[in-house]
Amino acid sequence: MSLRVLVVEDDREIRTVMQSALAVEGFEVVTAVSLSEAQALVRHSAPDMVLLDLGLPDGDGTELVREVRQRSNLPLIIVSARDQEAQKIRLLDAGADDYLSKPFSIGELLARIRVALRHRGTALEPAVTLHELDDLSINLGTRLVLRAGQPVHLTPTEFKLLARLVRSAGRVVTHRQLLTEVWGEAFSAHTHYLRLYMGQLRAKIEREPAEPRHLLTEIGVGYRLATA
Amino acid sequence: MTATVRQPALRWAFVILLLTSATMAGLLIDPYVSLTSQAMLYVLAVELACYRLGQLEAAVCALGAVAALNFFFVPPRWTFAVDQREHLIALAVMLLVATLTSRLATGMRRETQAARLSEGRARQLQELATRLSASSSAHEVRALGQAALAAAFGPTACLALTNPQDRLEDTPALAPEVRAGMEYCLRENAANGPDSAPDVRPRTRCLPLGEQGRVFGAVAIQLPGAQPSESLEHARALASLLAQALWRLSLNASMLAARGEAQRQEVLNTFLASISHDLRTPLATILGASTSLQTQRDRLSPVQQARMLESITTEARYLGTLTDNTLQLARLSNPMQELHRDWESVEEIVGAALARVRPQDPMRRIRSEIPANLPLLRADPVLLGQLLVNLLDNALKYSDAAIGLDAEVRQDWLELCVSDRGRGIPATERAALFRPYSRGDRSGQRGAGLGLAVCDAIARAHGGTLAVTDRTGGGSRFCLRLPVEPQHPLEEAP
Repeated sequence: MSLRVLVVEDDREIRTVMQSALAVEGFEVVTAVSLSEAQALVRHSAPDMVLLDLGLPDGDGTELVREVRQRSNLPLIIVSARDQEAQKIRLLDAGADDYLSKPFSIGELLARIRVALRHRGTALEPAVTLHELDDLSINLGTRLVLRAGQPVHLTPTEFKLLARLVRSAGRVVTHRQLLTEVWGEAFSAHTHYLRLYMGQLRAKIEREPAEPRHLLTEIGVGYRLATA
Repeated sequence: MTATVRQPALRWAFVILLLTSATMAGLLIDPYVSLTSQAMLYVLAVELACYRLGQLEAAVCALGAVAALNFFFVPPRWTFAVDQREHLIALAVMLLVATLTSRLATGMRRETQAARLSEGRARQLQELATRLSASSSAHEVRALGQAALAAAFGPTACLALTNPQDRLEDTPALAPEVRAGMEYCLRENAANGPDSAPDVRPRTRCLPLGEQGRVFGAVAIQLPGAQPSESLEHARALASLLAQALWRLSLNASMLAARGEAQRQEVLNTFLASISHDLRTPLATILGASTSLQTQRDRLSPVQQARMLESITTEARYLGTLTDNTLQLARLSNPMQELHRDWESVEEIVGAALARVRPQDPMRRIRSEIPANLPLLRADPVLLGQLLVNLLDNALKYSDAAIGLDAEVRQDWLELCVSDRGRGIPATERAALFRPYSRGDRSGQRGAGLGLAVCDAIARAHGGTLAVTDRTGGGSRFCLRLPVEPQHPLEEAP
């Protein structure tokens, strides 16, 4: 049975392009042109994933994200334009899995969908505990981090930060999510902690910290651990 | 009418003093002179009274003088009886002379006073006109007008201007009935008074500050008892001066607004013309390639098809960058727009910018040298990222050799520089380089027109600078200098 993707997009052209591109990849596509329609389809057509465009005529989507998150861990990807930064971050913090900036290529879209689907069900199944890419290997169970086969020594906070990114590998994790989950609610605005610790992590893990391969920066939003 | 001596008690005392002095002098010279000379002394007293005192006091003085002359000097003396007809005539003539003189003197004095008053008013009008011509705001005009009215009509005189909604401004000092009178003036653009309803208060007049059919406010004055029509005329003259000044100011304001609007329009037109030019070229490519694929696909080789698809992708990406730059420039030129500043790492911003431009840099010409442990910046990361992408994009476009990206801290400044080995930029063109759409099409390349203007605007919005210098050995070096703020310490190391 093919996976069902709900595309919420009010622009007909983009909707058509996304629909046919996803159909070619073997997805079953249902579409909605407004939030209210999307809410009805989420309840009744049981999609396996949602692609939610920002700037719909009837609202900003926060309500939809909350509603979805209350009931399931249905993967939800935000599709936003560049001038919708604040809204995008709000929806990510509300529980959306990832985002994609317009204009995007179909390749990027499919990569995001693959990552989101890989994480599907992480709330029930054991979380991702092993991450390997190129010469980097991270095992959360044994707390072992290897770079080119050599163990990397991390402080407890550095490890906590890295572990949080590994659990969401391939997906963006917002500043607020990292700060509250690693340092605590009281530190949710202390972005400079994040900058300093991420700098330390990059120095230990990356070959070229100024052009990272693993710990990617999503400017103004958060960080992403590369999976490909 | 006012006499030279102002207090009534003093005036009467002066009458008594005059009569007593004339009598004493008459008695003193009594042994040596005739009645005629003594009569002359009284005439002198009456003349003095006329000169110094009011009409009433002068008349009383004349009567007193005649009575005293009669009593003290006209035989039979020490009685009010008159025994010779000649003396009776003398007394009667004297009374007549005294009365006439007094009337003449008072008339003259009144005329002098009126002349002096109108001279003072003329001077006031002149001074006010001079000051008003130098005034630059309605507020100033109001202050000058209030002062002039108070000087001419006393402290009860008041003035109120209209607000932008053409209603009378809220002046707390305005009595409700005066306000009502002023509002009537505004409505009718006419003075109100006894013959035009509503009559505000006895002797209070409201006048509109009207010029060229527009009303800018109203004044209210208390008319004096004397010469009310001249006073009203003066008030009209003052009001007219004030109205002219306000008219001039409103004309100036609308002229400035019109000029500003014209300038904005011109900037917008230039911008739209340039951007539509920059949009049309990639759109033409996209449309040409896609319609060609639509209609001629069967006859195109796979290689040709791939090339067309590649063109569409490249041009679409270019349009994306152009849109981003336009958006940022519009944001930055809005003075109300605040930057989303946070503590940001230069290393991260460089990393993100490199990730964005690498697809256009398959030969990996960009070589970054970013030292570890740079201080954090208080910056808008999206904007700084855009700045770097623009500089790197340009360097890739305008040069073929290696491109350097390096950072350095110098005292309280962080310098981030992009160096290329392109043709360089002549010194004469550098100033124009950072203005939107000033680019000369020297290289046949397009799209840099907006990019550098955005970079410059971003640098300035961060309290920094963007400058371009020549490199020894050829090429240009674009350096961004940003202030380094005191670093935020970690409160605790968890």
